Amino acid sequence: MDAAAAKLIGAGLAMIGTIGAGIGIGVVVNGAVQGIARNPDASGNVQTNMILGIAFAEAVAIYCLVIALLILFVF
Amino acid sequence: MNNAMKTRILGIPNRYFVLLGFILLFISWMLVPPIRPVIQLPAETYSATPLFTLPVIGPFYWTNTLTAMVLADLLLVLLALTVRRVVRSGSLVPKGLTGVVETLLEVLHNLTETNAGKWTKAIFPFFATITLLVLVVNWMELIPGVDSIGFIRPVESGLEGYPVYTIGPRLETIYKPKDASAAPAEAGQYQLVPYVRVLSTDLNFTIALALIAVVMTQVMGVRALGGSYFTKFFNVKTIFSRPMFGLIDFAVGLLELVSDFSKILSFAFRLFGNIFAGSVLLFVMGSLLPIIQSGFLMLEFGVGLIQAVIFGMLTMVFMSMATVGHADHAEH
Repeated sequence: MDAAAAKLIGAGLAMIGTIGAGIGIGVVVNGAVQGIARNPDASGNVQTNMILGIAFAEAVAIYCLVIALLILFVF
Repeated sequence: MNNAMKTRILGIPNRYFVLLGFILLFISWMLVPPIRPVIQLPAETYSATPLFTLPVIGPFYWTNTLTAMVLADLLLVLLALTVRRVVRSGSLVPKGLTGVVETLLEVLHNLTETNAGKWTKAIFPFFATITLLVLVVNWMELIPGVDSIGFIRPVESGLEGYPVYTIGPRLETIYKPKDASAAPAEAGQYQLVPYVRVLSTDLNFTIALALIAVVMTQVMGVRALGGSYFTKFFNVKTIFSRPMFGLIDFAVGLLELVSDFSKILSFAFRLFGNIFAGSVLLFVMGSLLPIIQSGFLMLEFGVGLIQAVIFGMLTMVFMSMATVGHADHAEH
């Protein structure tokens, strides 16, 4: 196997980590939507915290993406 | 649709112009097939030799992302001066651009007030500045010409280049030949180096912004709590009275220290990763099919906005968390 093929496979493997972020965002939004459904008055507050939570969960996926991009375009 | 909205230009509904744009896009795609640009992570430099060399820091190049930085700064200063002029003129009802800016800042200010309380005045400037700067910088990606007008240079070794096609005097482009075997191999080794590249695709910018955010968070904490702020990191309050739990508290404090350093990385890579991936997405989609890219431009519009707000909001939340005392540590 030559280096170019290994690079592509490595970049693909690096993106496996996004599974966790996807599950995490799902859990966060699940909780937020249930909270809003029970108490619609608190929706503004819940939404702010939900977006913060999503940002944290998404950051993990972005690390994977950065590693994949580094593998593809730098090394 | 209300009458105030202008839906016609020269008596023709606006939607026909959009349709015309799509058709022109398709025709130009048939005539000159778009190519995938050479994607590289570090910002491209204008000149091969450095402008000047600093003793410790090293050589200094003028990069295309630096141009974007200057443009964004000029834009924000102009915006500020325009709004200032309107506010000084004494009109109480803001219209147009001033109204948009006021609405935006009001939303941000209310958000800060609910989180930071009496520290709103200290924290809000950071929140608003970071959000506005990152917003302007991210939306530069959507302007035609950014990332697509620039120098034509020979590619570095190991990358795929394209031949040059002269359109007119001082106007050249790189193109993909219809059949690759016909073109001589040594003719087609050029790439486009854009004059302006989106600033968020340069790690230097995002790391600098992240450093400012995290360092100023510590400054806020010290301003609010004084020297006792550092007991958050080196928690020795309970270590002698209750050795067992005191040690655990101390270890938790050290973890806080580690998490503050990881905040820098997380801030920097979140913005960089999102916008760089967006740029790559636009390049690849634009080279595959012409009309699809318009849809992804809309996606990037949203991503740019969300990332700007998130960067600012996280800074604001961390700052307001730093201003709150950690008295609850003494209880358990």
